[in-house]
Amino acid sequence: MSLLDVSDLHASVVTDDQTQPILKGLNLAVAAGEVHAIMGPNGSGKSTLANVLSGRPGYQVDNGAATLDGTGLLELEPYERAQLGVFLAFPYPVEIPGVSNMEFLKASIDSLARARGDAQPNTAQFIRQVRELASSLDLDPAFLKRGVNEGFSGGEKKRNEIMQLLLLDPKLAVLDETDSGLDIDALKVVAAGVNRFRNASNGVVLITHYQRLLDYIVPDFVHVLSNGRIIESGDKNLALELEAKGYAWLT
Amino acid sequence: MADLALPAALATPAWLNPVSNAGQLPLPEALHRALNSAAHRERWKYTKAEAFLGATHAAANLPLINGARQPGIEVKQTAAPTPLVGFDLEQAPEAFARLCYASNILTIDVSAPTTEPLTLAHAANTVPILIRVAQHASLTLNEISDCGSDAQQTTWIDLAANAELRHSRNSLDTAGAHWQYLNVRLQRDSSYRLHNHVTGCRSRRQDVHIIMDGQGAEANLMSAGSVEGKSALDQQFTLEHRQPRGRSQQTIHNIVANGGKCTFNGRIHIHEGAAGTDAQLANKNLGMGEHATINSKPELEIYTDDVRCAHGATVGTISQDALFYLLSRGIDQNAAQALLSQGFLRQCIDGPLAESALETLIGGAFVDL
Repeated sequence: MSLLDVSDLHASVVTDDQTQPILKGLNLAVAAGEVHAIMGPNGSGKSTLANVLSGRPGYQVDNGAATLDGTGLLELEPYERAQLGVFLAFPYPVEIPGVSNMEFLKASIDSLARARGDAQPNTAQFIRQVRELASSLDLDPAFLKRGVNEGFSGGEKKRNEIMQLLLLDPKLAVLDETDSGLDIDALKVVAAGVNRFRNASNGVVLITHYQRLLDYIVPDFVHVLSNGRIIESGDKNLALELEAKGYAWLT
Repeated sequence: MADLALPAALATPAWLNPVSNAGQLPLPEALHRALNSAAHRERWKYTKAEAFLGATHAAANLPLINGARQPGIEVKQTAAPTPLVGFDLEQAPEAFARLCYASNILTIDVSAPTTEPLTLAHAANTVPILIRVAQHASLTLNEISDCGSDAQQTTWIDLAANAELRHSRNSLDTAGAHWQYLNVRLQRDSSYRLHNHVTGCRSRRQDVHIIMDGQGAEANLMSAGSVEGKSALDQQFTLEHRQPRGRSQQTIHNIVANGGKCTFNGRIHIHEGAAGTDAQLANKNLGMGEHATINSKPELEIYTDDVRCAHGATVGTISQDALFYLLSRGIDQNAAQALLSQGFLRQCIDGPLAESALETLIGGAFVDL
């Protein structure tokens, strides 16, 4: 059994006036210890996959299943999926004025601990851990007192996502365009964070447009998503080939 | 609709005639006209004026005063109020009547920079209050309302050139019909800051009238309100820029939940000649639960060019994007909603009375992390 098992997933984006099918029979198996990169042209369904796995409102599952360690995800509320071990790194993390980063992180870690029947972490230790994590990602610990993502630059928001990834330590990380809008230094910091996260018992689904990120986070598998299905899979060399040739030769 | 009328006969006080532009009419007539004008009806559209007007004649006590015994502060009771220059009978006839009915008012004169806060605690009707802060003097003023039944407070503040006042006001009690009238006049380069923290009660009415009456004056008003269940809050804020280069910023956040009724009217009036004014107002309302009633009306009157003025009012529910962000981190629906609504109010809670405001409005300050 894989860590993540997606089989024959059909899903649509639901707006006020229409329901638009996006995923059309997607299959994906991510075993523990693996990093899977998902690439593909705009509109192929990459973000929809991330959103459907994490339970974002506005999407409708039409058919198929997705399981994490054998537990069905698609029937669960978003917070239950997170408690089970799913983490989504947002392409555009929202700003939440009035709720401090530290308070938000504490609420999150306490919720996860409660759901798993673990003891809540000691507050002083928790604060120290978060400060250290922030420093290790070149985030000024002073940010922790500010509102969640409030006034952060694009790069700071992405690093904040990676900080949360390292703090919450999920089983499955779905990183949706975590490299977009990053300069080369920030990209290296983010990639180093993801590599720190990787271990034999967790998995990563890395959604990206650019091969460059894969120089720093070397994937075990690369998949090409087109028109809602995976049409090609390979190792890291597939990404290089895509970089050279574009998607046209596949689609 | 029957005319609004004063609860008792009113003698024209001696000080009135030289300063009032209503001097052409005998005072009772001038008040009667102001009480029944279209503008007055509009200001009291969502809260019945009768009960408040009727109580302007009721007996009043002194507030409990703390911090008056320090250098630079003189507190006294005076029989004849000294009216503020620029005070407008038309704008607040009830407050005017209350001033005239009072046999005594409380006068607080601040003549130097002060270090300790001055605290006024209101447990019921209190006498009209006049606070004058002299040139280059400064004061931290804390006002706490803890009224169990009907109550009224009328306060006039005059800030001389370069004076500074930091004013915090907590009205978190369960008063019956509670009316707070506040009039602040700012002279040249003076600065005024208000932290207003408020809950609804059976009927709470807050009138705030700020007059930027000198060049370069600066006013910053922040208000956080929670109106839950069968309670009501009506806030009427008027900010007049009468002189050039004034800066004003008003941020008012109210949560209205489960049957609460909340009204906000924010009027900015930029007079002719007040060039270089920068006036900002944002009123945000968050509706929660069932049957919240929210009335919000921004009003702008601008009679000069070369001003910056931004004005916004929103009525909404919790942001779905923000909610999903919290949910995706394992925080359940109720906890996530609570965090977001607390964050919404916390943006407007600050100053020396913040702690008890956090306690009442959002159920406690989060451990300072």
